[in-house]
Amino acid sequence: MSLFTACRSMAEWTAEYLLIPIFNFQAGLFPPFSNPAGSVADWLGTDGGLDTLAWTYAVNIAFMVGMTNLILVIHLERKIAARIQDRRGPMLSLRSLRELKEDLAGEAPTWKFKDNYSGIGIIQNLVDGIKAITKELIVPTKADRFLFTMGPIIFISSSVFLLVLFPLSDRFAASSAPAGLMVIMAAFSIAPIGVLTSGWASNNKYSMIGGMRSAAQLMAYEIPLLLSMAGVFLLAGSFDPVTIVEQQQEGTWLFGLPMWNIIPQFIGFIVFMICILAEVERVPFDLPEAEAELVEGWTTEYSGIRYMLFLAAEYIRGFAGAAVATILFLGGWAGPWPVPPEIWFLIKVYLIIIFWIFIRWSVPRIRTDQILELGWKKLLPLSLINILIVILMVEIYPYFSNIITLPEVF
Amino acid sequence: MAEMWISMGPQHPMTHGLWTLKVKVDGETIVDADPELGYLHRSVEKMGERRKYFMNTTLTDRLCYASSTTWTHCYTHTVEELMEVEVPVRAQYIRTIMLELQRLASHLMWAGAYMPDLGHITGALYFWRDRELFLNLLELPSGSRLLYNFIRIGGVKRDLPNGFEEKTERILKLFEQRLDEYSDLFENSKIFRMRTDDVGKFTAEQAKNFGITGPNLRGCGTKFDLRKHDTYEIYEEIDWDISTREAGPGYSDCFSRYMVRIDEMKESVRIIRDCFKKMPAGATLASRIPVRAHGEAFRRTEDSRGEAMMYVVGDGSDRPYRWKIKSPMFTTMSACPHYLKGYKLADIPAIMGSIDICIGETDK
Repeated sequence: MSLFTACRSMAEWTAEYLLIPIFNFQAGLFPPFSNPAGSVADWLGTDGGLDTLAWTYAVNIAFMVGMTNLILVIHLERKIAARIQDRRGPMLSLRSLRELKEDLAGEAPTWKFKDNYSGIGIIQNLVDGIKAITKELIVPTKADRFLFTMGPIIFISSSVFLLVLFPLSDRFAASSAPAGLMVIMAAFSIAPIGVLTSGWASNNKYSMIGGMRSAAQLMAYEIPLLLSMAGVFLLAGSFDPVTIVEQQQEGTWLFGLPMWNIIPQFIGFIVFMICILAEVERVPFDLPEAEAELVEGWTTEYSGIRYMLFLAAEYIRGFAGAAVATILFLGGWAGPWPVPPEIWFLIKVYLIIIFWIFIRWSVPRIRTDQILELGWKKLLPLSLINILIVILMVEIYPYFSNIITLPEVF
Repeated sequence: MAEMWISMGPQHPMTHGLWTLKVKVDGETIVDADPELGYLHRSVEKMGERRKYFMNTTLTDRLCYASSTTWTHCYTHTVEELMEVEVPVRAQYIRTIMLELQRLASHLMWAGAYMPDLGHITGALYFWRDRELFLNLLELPSGSRLLYNFIRIGGVKRDLPNGFEEKTERILKLFEQRLDEYSDLFENSKIFRMRTDDVGKFTAEQAKNFGITGPNLRGCGTKFDLRKHDTYEIYEEIDWDISTREAGPGYSDCFSRYMVRIDEMKESVRIIRDCFKKMPAGATLASRIPVRAHGEAFRRTEDSRGEAMMYVVGDGSDRPYRWKIKSPMFTTMSACPHYLKGYKLADIPAIMGSIDICIGETDK
């Protein structure tokens, strides 16, 4: 049973027993609104109305799954970073709040952690969220108020949009489009417009330079990124995530292991991983918000929940980037039987994210001219070489397969 | 993008203190720079003229929070020459040990502050974790962790506590291991080299003209260290070498300055070990310390950041008539437009961090 079928039956149930009675009741109650309410009730009875409701449910479930993952990713980042840096990281949990209450009841002068205390600190995210919501939203006096508000909206909505675009498995998908991965990359490319907008609207030199850097970085990295993906599309003959993952299960490799795209297209995988790091603006490619020289760059003037949503959106983009890498190169949700495919998918995504966290906390940031040089002079030729290899594999090799026999890998 | 002035500071992550760097950028390239100092001026010299000679060690401690012992030593050294006080040999050894421990702590503080400039937060925590070890060591004889007030006119406050040598040896061994570990994370890292190689270059000739001293000068390959060339305390009896490094023929970059400081830390470890080996027994404070002084004295010592110079004039009373401090960072920072021009905006933290700024001593 796929996510959509489940949502469809849920939609039928809710429409029949909940929504249609409510709208019918309203249609009887208020004469001015009776006509629209009645129309909605009629529409919910039709097939199209039920489909729309089912999609709404599916998108909401995918959104909730993505948000849960966001909290986990942020927590993972903090804890792993802390372990790398010889710290303990956040340790605030429900138990520590209880101990605080006990200490306060005992009129302890200061709050100390108990000796045997070991919380995992998952509550820290919640506390940070509360802190961010309660802070003042400052808009600089000479800022362009409209664009200053629009910047975060563009950035955050395009990032949250990503969450519902990729499937967790062939049955757990909130959206299905033949051009699925193209839509994902298009959604990825919207965010720099928000960055540029908020950088310019802040009326701050640091922010503006940060926005400009973001634009330059996007141009240098979007092209090798898409070219490295083109190899996968050529092999699968489709932009559809499901087709791409199924295609990766066809061939076998040593010991009967499935030949995922990482093996024939290793160059493409490397290029893609570097480019997607630049795309989601993580260290070593977080130039637009370099805190050493630009004081957080384009987010300098933002405060409170706006700033927090920027941070959250960056993690969402990171999660989506890791998901795309998994679909394209790591066989997606494929894995041995007892573990469900959705869990396999998340395991692979989290392995990539942990790898990124290790990179983030062990290398410095590189410079603007270097990042552009890397993008244009090194990654672009490499991605073209990758495409050449794929073309040789797909188009040229079948004609000569009678004369020369390559190993099973190809 | 048109040329524009960007003001970095007084509150900016790059500044490491309280100063302003105004840079004129053309896009991302630096066209001009203008450092502005004076936000942290506390008129230490004038305050010192109102206090008795032995009181001023509290002021010199506060000249530079990262390297307070070296400044106190520079002051006491000058006043001892003015008063013609003979420092006991054991006190000189203890002073050398404390100075080198302070140099280690200061360089670790610098390295920790330099890494976030390059976007490497983990490096800061690693180096500051090691700095804690040396602060613990400095705490043992002096009783405090930041401003020690341990070196006095005529000697040191008290003898080293029992078991100090063993503790020091244990920490030095751990520290050497860790420096080896860090070499993979920093100097062998490709991205670290990309950020520091051929950035912020100046030649030895320029450095001499600007008055740049200390590790920044030795980063150009110039073998000049006041501990050898204008020796004080017992540095001439100790077995150690001047650590130099050059990026190319006679010029330095951020990486060579980084490496000079790492090598200097290794040399400091050598000095401390040798001091413990050669240290004699005896008194730690001179038997006769005068209160009044007449005449003038000038000494220079090798601070963690360069040549610290002090000039004290006594008029026969128990207070200095004139006290002049010359800070090494003042000249180095004043020359910053010369070695900032032509580099990118992102290089500003890399360059200004690599010269090891301390605003406390610069603004006095």
